[in-house]
Amino acid sequence: MSLAEQDDALIRAALEGSARSWDQLVRRHETQVYNFSLRLTGNPADALDLMQEVFLGVYRNLHRFRGESQFSTWLFRIAHNKAIDMARRRPSSTSLESALEDAGDLIEARWQQLDDVPEQDPQALLDERQRNALLLAQMAALPLEQRLVVELKVFQSLTFEEIAELQDISANTAKTRFYTALRRLKALMEQDHGM
Amino acid sequence: MACERTATLVADHFDDTLVPLQREALDQHARHCADCAQALDEARQTHAHLRTWQPQRVPAWSRPALPSAPQKRSRLRWAWWQWAPLAVSCVLALAVVLNVQISTGSQGMAIRFGASSTPDTAQLEARLAAFDAQYQAALQTLTQTLMQQQATDNARLMEAVIDSVVEQFGDSTARSLEQVIAYFESQREQDLQLLQASYQQLADSDYATIRSVEQLAMLVQGGQP
Repeated sequence: MSLAEQDDALIRAALEGSARSWDQLVRRHETQVYNFSLRLTGNPADALDLMQEVFLGVYRNLHRFRGESQFSTWLFRIAHNKAIDMARRRPSSTSLESALEDAGDLIEARWQQLDDVPEQDPQALLDERQRNALLLAQMAALPLEQRLVVELKVFQSLTFEEIAELQDISANTAKTRFYTALRRLKALMEQDHGM
Repeated sequence: MACERTATLVADHFDDTLVPLQREALDQHARHCADCAQALDEARQTHAHLRTWQPQRVPAWSRPALPSAPQKRSRLRWAWWQWAPLAVSCVLALAVVLNVQISTGSQGMAIRFGASSTPDTAQLEARLAAFDAQYQAALQTLTQTLMQQQATDNARLMEAVIDSVVEQFGDSTARSLEQVIAYFESQREQDLQLLQASYQQLADSDYATIRSVEQLAMLVQGGQP
């Protein structure tokens, strides 16, 4: 049974009232949704809030899921809309300094979780967290519309046609936003690492 | 950036939907356009940098629980009630088409499909034959009783007339009267036959009426005798 078919089976069971199937469905996708939320919000606390809203939205609309697309595609459509709603409610600072502060919080939070994974090299884990934190800071410096295009293209592997449909813009506009975002990120990378 | 195609070219480079011919044209342009070649190189570096992201573990969080009333189940319950009247209509229509007959009798409730079966017709015929025989016997007894009563009455009348004539006019006159009485007696016999025929016709009419009523009652009760 493919992952999509497993999703469909879990959805059917959840709609029939199976709390266990619903829990399994959430656990299967929570890592992807959390990382999506983290890259868009830039800090773990907002990422958790966004993830909570996403899964509540999924639950409220689960009976409308027709299986015409994969569940993950449908899920990220909801996540995309929830991210925009949250950004409108909480206009975040786009300054690099504030983003780096949030990234520092993330590193500290991850250090506290090191005890949970004793088999992993602490130094390698620290390097990984620092790279992620830097990436978060650079992403946070982008305007929301550019951040969303980068997220959808680089991490969710959507086509520009799909991004255009999702954001109700033309494909050329999506391409221009993507290119502009890459140039901005390149500049930030050079600023941070002298690249 | 002087080339106006740079933004589209860089974006298309990361689009997996390009067909080989389009990708070849894109690469061909980048080989001859310094601006686009440089932008493409920088974009590849940035893209590779972004892809160094390591997925983060989800911190402990309160997963939204599934409420006890699933939404789809409630929709199904509504659908069941919406279909119930149609289901009842279908059952009634089927009962009419199959000529379902429900009757109760001494042996309890019975359900039949279609017209009455052959054994019921035989029972009906047997019951009607028994009723016919019983009727014929009663009619014959009644006719005999009536004829005996009429004969007795005629004999008494004739004796009374003869005695009266002999007493007033003598024996010769009495003989003439005997002839008259014989004629009178023959007329009475004819009257008696006519009366018997009328009784028979009346009884036949009553019998036909009773039989019709009984057949109607059996039809209403579903063929139960």
